[in-house]
Amino acid sequence: MIARISYAFRETWASFKRNVTLTMAAVITSAVSLLLVGSTFLIQRAFDNLLTRWKGDVELIVYVRSDADPNQIQVIEDALKSQPSIIDVTKLRYLDQAESYAEAQKLFAGDPGTLRLLTPENIPSQFKVVPISQDSNLIRELGEQFRGLAGVREVAYAQDVFDVVARVSQFIRIATTAMSIVLLVVAVGLIWNTIRTAMFARRREIEVMKLVGATNWFIRIPFMLEGLLQGLIGGVLSCLGLWGLNSAWSGAVADFNDTELAALVVTDGYMRFVMIILLGIGAIAGAVGSGIAASRFLDV
Amino acid sequence: MIRLENVTKTYGTEIPAVRDASFEIAKGEFVFMVGPSGSGKSTLLRLMNRQEQPERGEVWVAGKDINAMPDSKVPYLRRNIGNIFQDYKLLLNKTVFENVAFALEVIGRPKHVIRQQVPAVLDLVGLSDKEDRFPHQLSGGEQQRVSIARAFVNRPLILLADEPTGNLDPATGEGIMRLLDRINNTGTTVVMATHDQRIVNMMRRRVVQLDRGVIVRDQERGVYD
Repeated sequence: MIARISYAFRETWASFKRNVTLTMAAVITSAVSLLLVGSTFLIQRAFDNLLTRWKGDVELIVYVRSDADPNQIQVIEDALKSQPSIIDVTKLRYLDQAESYAEAQKLFAGDPGTLRLLTPENIPSQFKVVPISQDSNLIRELGEQFRGLAGVREVAYAQDVFDVVARVSQFIRIATTAMSIVLLVVAVGLIWNTIRTAMFARRREIEVMKLVGATNWFIRIPFMLEGLLQGLIGGVLSCLGLWGLNSAWSGAVADFNDTELAALVVTDGYMRFVMIILLGIGAIAGAVGSGIAASRFLDV
Repeated sequence: MIRLENVTKTYGTEIPAVRDASFEIAKGEFVFMVGPSGSGKSTLLRLMNRQEQPERGEVWVAGKDINAMPDSKVPYLRRNIGNIFQDYKLLLNKTVFENVAFALEVIGRPKHVIRQQVPAVLDLVGLSDKEDRFPHQLSGGEQQRVSIARAFVNRPLILLADEPTGNLDPATGEGIMRLLDRINNTGTTVVMATHDQRIVNMMRRRVVQLDRGVIVRDQERGVYD
């Protein structure tokens, strides 16, 4: 048994050294594809975080014209407060123009063009409304009533933003999933090809092995081990890359502390989970790819 | 030990390489398969260790119908059958010792068995002093002795030799034949395909003659013809 195991490892290592270029190609491809798989997981998780936070306090925002007089503002406020069954009156907040302008500074930090058009004088003030009712139709009905009031410029629903974010996140999920599947197939193909080359280089040995009665598994295992190792190294590299990316992203997002963007991060626990998944996928893809190649070229 | 019953083997759509061949080889026998190139000698040998499977007929080796056994059993069948070839099929990056040890290593024999068996068999073939040489440092006859050592190190019941003297000069070939004779005397069944008339006539053993895939003669203590 020990003799067999040491034989398998010796052969795996020798073959690894013999095919440096192909091995590197297979390792790098699997690393990149697994990095994409991991990114898909993380982006998904980050969007989920973002959306959960919004879900907790879905907001209705009533924007008030910048030229509205205090009376009109009072009318709007009274109207809102007269609906305690639908909205949480205690959490009703009024942001005056200065506060709204300060908020806009953060919201449009990445969009200086828009920001330049805004001044503390022309920016609408706003009522931020936290509903009690979970019925989005009811909230929408209420919002529509306010559209007609004098001094109301616009009524915005967080629900609309929510839909956009959900749609964007779904698009990103589909795109990254598709790309990572394609790359994973390429990686398996490259591993397959590396193993085929390794087997071709050793065809005389394989012929002799078969003639003296080595079992197919005995012949196959060093090659499968080689593929598994390639997948696993790819997995380790992708984990390092992912960890680096996530740290950089989290660091960058931390600057936007008060905005929704800050929710777009992934915590360590989930990161560890994703890393284990990546190592698993890498190992399995490598072993399966090389196993298929080994079986296919073992028919002498 | 080996029995063929009405065996027919065809490659592709061509005429059969072996047609309706039937014969039996007893344990400990030494048999020559003779005939011109392409007469089906090598195919017969390849049918005996299931490197080929026949379209029709049965091949029985050591009491088993070898074409009825599952693929997973074939390696264990082959551990009872040694193979020798005209071109030796040695591994060029391994020494004499390593080439012979390889045959034991890949069927999972432990190190202490290898350390004991390999020198013994190298002694038998007369290469004890060349353990550490590589194949390219050996003469053709010596290389063939290494391949015989590799085929015999596991003490198989049967030795299949396909033109083992084909690349050797007559004197060296005779040496190889004496070695195969000694192995045969230990009780190992030897089946040898050859078209070397001189050797067949010298040995005076059973001769099975083939012509275009058909057995045309099967004679005890025969000559090449």
